[in-house]
Amino acid sequence: MKKHITWIQHKLGIQHKLGLQHKLQIQPKAWILILFVMAALFGGCGRDSDHTEAQAENPPEPSVVVGFSQLGAESDWRSANTDSMLQTFTRENGYTLIYENGQQQQSKQITAIRKFIQQDVDYIVLAPEKETGWESVLEEARNAEIPVIIVDRRVAAADKNLYTCWVGSDFELEGKKMCAWLGSFAEAHGIAPEELHIVNIQGTIGSTAQIGRTRGLANAARENGWDLMEEISGDFTETRGREVMSMLLDKYDNLNVVYCENDNMALGVLDAIEEAGRTAGSDIANGEIMVVSFDGVNEEARELARAGKISCIAECNPLHGPRVEALIRQLEAGEEPEKHNYVDEKIFSAEEAVREIEIDGVTYKVEKP
Amino acid sequence: MEKKRKNSIFTKLSDTNMLLLITIVVFFAMYIGAVVFLGGGFKKPQTLFNILNANAALIITACGMSIVMITGGIDISVGGVVALVSMCCAVHLDFGNGSVPTSILIAVGIGIAFGVVQGFLVAYLEIQPFIVSLAGMFFARGMTTIVHTAPFNVAHEGFNKLKQTRINVPGMGSLNKKGIYVPAYIEIGVVVALLVIIIFFIVLRWTKLGRSFYAVGGNQQSALMLGINVKRTRFLSHLICSILAGIGGYVYFLHVGSGSASHAVGLEMNAIASSIIGGTMLTGGVGNVIGTLFGVLSLSTIQNIVSSAGLDQAWWTGITIAAMLCIFLLIQSIVMAQKKRALRSDS
Amino acid sequence: MNKNSGSLVKRLVGHQLFIPILAIILLAVVNLINDPGFFRITVGTNNAGNTVLSGYLITILDFGSELAILALGMTLVTAAAGGQDISVGATIAITGSAMLRILCGGVARPEKIAAPIIVAFLFGCVVGMLCGAFNGALVAIFKIQPMIATLILFTAGRSIAAWINNNELPIVPDPRFAYFGGFIPGIPIPTTVFIAAACIVIMLLVLKFTNLGLYTQAVGINENSARLNGINPTKIKFLAFVILGLCVAVAALIKVSRLSTINYSVIAKDIEMDAILAVALGGNALSGGRFNIMASILGAYVIQFLTTTLYKFNVSSDALAAYKAVVVILLVVFSAPIVREKIGKFGRRRASAREARG
Repeated sequence: MKKHITWIQHKLGIQHKLGLQHKLQIQPKAWILILFVMAALFGGCGRDSDHTEAQAENPPEPSVVVGFSQLGAESDWRSANTDSMLQTFTRENGYTLIYENGQQQQSKQITAIRKFIQQDVDYIVLAPEKETGWESVLEEARNAEIPVIIVDRRVAAADKNLYTCWVGSDFELEGKKMCAWLGSFAEAHGIAPEELHIVNIQGTIGSTAQIGRTRGLANAARENGWDLMEEISGDFTETRGREVMSMLLDKYDNLNVVYCENDNMALGVLDAIEEAGRTAGSDIANGEIMVVSFDGVNEEARELARAGKISCIAECNPLHGPRVEALIRQLEAGEEPEKHNYVDEKIFSAEEAVREIEIDGVTYKVEKP
Repeated sequence: MEKKRKNSIFTKLSDTNMLLLITIVVFFAMYIGAVVFLGGGFKKPQTLFNILNANAALIITACGMSIVMITGGIDISVGGVVALVSMCCAVHLDFGNGSVPTSILIAVGIGIAFGVVQGFLVAYLEIQPFIVSLAGMFFARGMTTIVHTAPFNVAHEGFNKLKQTRINVPGMGSLNKKGIYVPAYIEIGVVVALLVIIIFFIVLRWTKLGRSFYAVGGNQQSALMLGINVKRTRFLSHLICSILAGIGGYVYFLHVGSGSASHAVGLEMNAIASSIIGGTMLTGGVGNVIGTLFGVLSLSTIQNIVSSAGLDQAWWTGITIAAMLCIFLLIQSIVMAQKKRALRSDS
Repeated sequence: MNKNSGSLVKRLVGHQLFIPILAIILLAVVNLINDPGFFRITVGTNNAGNTVLSGYLITILDFGSELAILALGMTLVTAAAGGQDISVGATIAITGSAMLRILCGGVARPEKIAAPIIVAFLFGCVVGMLCGAFNGALVAIFKIQPMIATLILFTAGRSIAAWINNNELPIVPDPRFAYFGGFIPGIPIPTTVFIAAACIVIMLLVLKFTNLGLYTQAVGINENSARLNGINPTKIKFLAFVILGLCVAVAALIKVSRLSTINYSVIAKDIEMDAILAVALGGNALSGGRFNIMASILGAYVIQFLTTTLYKFNVSSDALAAYKAVVVILLVVFSAPIVREKIGKFGRRRASAREARG
């Protein structure tokens, strides 16, 4: 024992660092743990790889392989969009879907598309994270003759033939609808245009939804003479929405309309309003703050719209799966689909005052949330 | 006495080789397993090249991380530096009418600035490297948003030409379902990354500086007695790491072609994980940049396998990387303990 | 006399609480100059109709609570293991998710809670302690560096949290659940303040009446001599991590209660960094050994004070990190032993110079 101790003290520096003092008792435990973890990991992988192998060797029918690169899972809208794809491109429907989550990074999405090309997919479905920077990877796909269908946000490329077609929402129209509703509402309640003190809580800067909805409001504010006090990004997330709103409430005493570019941010905004001891609602003449928002996917937001806390929601339909499938069927049949495909969208409000709105000669009914 | 110490450093170097061997074996086992069981994309060489293309920046920063870890330190600011470099270069190119050479200078300059400050604080003021680089990370991330808030893609022509430059690898392409030849290629960043690995492999193995990194990481006291300038060595390790983070930042920038505050989030942790998987020990004195290269490759191969196996990555990537890290840590812990037992029975 | 003043400076500068207290004074002065209204505490009504206190000082106390609770456990881990646990943010996500799973019974929008809150909390504690035990086992038994060992849960934690609730974001329907992160009706002080105070008192009592503190320091200073003195370092290190796990569970309760729901990727983001900073600002050696738990708690509130001050100056939350980093570097440089020694010497030299003149 004594010898052992002097030995330790002798080589203390190195020993201490390497923690070799009691290896004797570790051995069995270590091996058990290693075996366990390895079994868990490789067991898991093994099972799944068998699965895929079976899929590859004897497909139920000649199945169409679709690679879907989703940009992330930042909002409920996005999750609903992903679910729609996953539920449409099932094996029962004759598809093999390879789904890749880009986690909000364009580079990850580009890597995913390159992987799809290597995996020899038949179609690539891309929900791009931003509008620019896709030229080179889309060209690779085109050189490999794989059709690319863009969903939701757009791709800004000089060469429109880099992708086959696009499916998504008309975000500027959503913005216009909302502004038309706001205008009719103010008119119905006798509120002067300059009495509307609006802040715009924008989505992720540069996303198609943000650009369209922001443009819709900016144009309407200019035409109607509304007081658009500030435009600031809340990144489409609840947390940022709350932060930004707290800051705005401190900054402006007179703000009475919050134009929120998605529901998740609206939830954060409502929290911030209540924290500041204010009330959300459409009675802006009596100090309430009106919150209007977009998407209409989040059930909680729909509930709040029914309760009148969110005064109006312009729907942004996330169910792109069936639409994309129809396009793929067209392509399979050798037809040339439309370049731009819009999905139908509604507008919801619990307010009685405005029952329908008109934009560019088209009338839209305002529905109950 | 003197002989004994030298001997112990020497023994550790062979530990390095043993851990390196484990990493390489595991990587090849995994990759061959993927080719056999998953087939598909894994059979094509371009899948491996794609992994290299996407991870060139990680290879470079992880190489710097390994050097700091061999010297017994840690640098968690590298992800922040990468983001700051991409943002500054992007702003410089698009708003500052900059040119590609000056943007490269900016990247290296940022690396040197971080390296000098952090190295000075760690080596000469003896502040914990973790805290110093933590502040470095905060600073770099914050500065990135101060430089420019919104993410944007660079439109600079010369830069985009460089970004799209590809080196075709002859004979490695493949025919796809439709009978079209898809060529195999690597990006410039991969060449830079491989150069960095080769240079630092040579530096670590055959130069006095390289050996002093191992000595300082192994045991500062004995390194001091061997006549090594411990402070200078630690300073240099941090300087090299930050410069490599700067270069890695430019390679990252070259790969993504945009500036954004959310670039390279978590890159530092991936770099640390790659180093560990590659056989570098945080306790210092043990490690190898070739191992780090294989660490990065293993890490991204497992990610590829996970997503090819059809598991929703959002959960599984994190969990598999953690499981892999766990296994490697345990292997290292046991190998080292075994080694020490052998050593003790010798003495 | 003069000599005395020289050693006084040295003693003052050398004291462990010097840096955090100096920081608080500096922050207070800055705020006083900028806007004396910073220190005003007003009585108002919140949206639930309760009378509550509000003001920046209350915000600091309120939001500093989680940090202070985490700093308790982090200090012990730092002292015993000579390293830090970087997984606390991720384990907060895990325990919070586990609590919600029990409360909501796996349903995203339940009508009413599926189990009493206390059951969910106790379950959360068990989960937190298990996470701590996992880290503790890797560090204490397998001798892996704490930062690297906890890197495992750091990487996997948020994924595990999402997996526990099947990636749903359940919302707790019971308003009582919001009390823990908000206000109890009739009490104008945030509940978090009481929770933090209770945790601090319990920890101080434990340290006072058991030899945990002594043993922890012994292990941290020199593991071998601690073992020779009959202390089992493995047990002490393991225990430190389990205690941190318990602190994590309490912090998770507060975090989840604040929102009545959870967001796996952002809940308690970067809190591990703040908790480690709290320990460092408290002047505790990050390499282990002697520790002062009060200093860490003070450090936690200093960080919250700093954050709130920066928000007051309209610093955006993204840019916050840069300013924080500068302040942290200044504080750490100032508290580095080498720098302190220099300052001490400088003080002495001035004193002796004065003496020579006089």
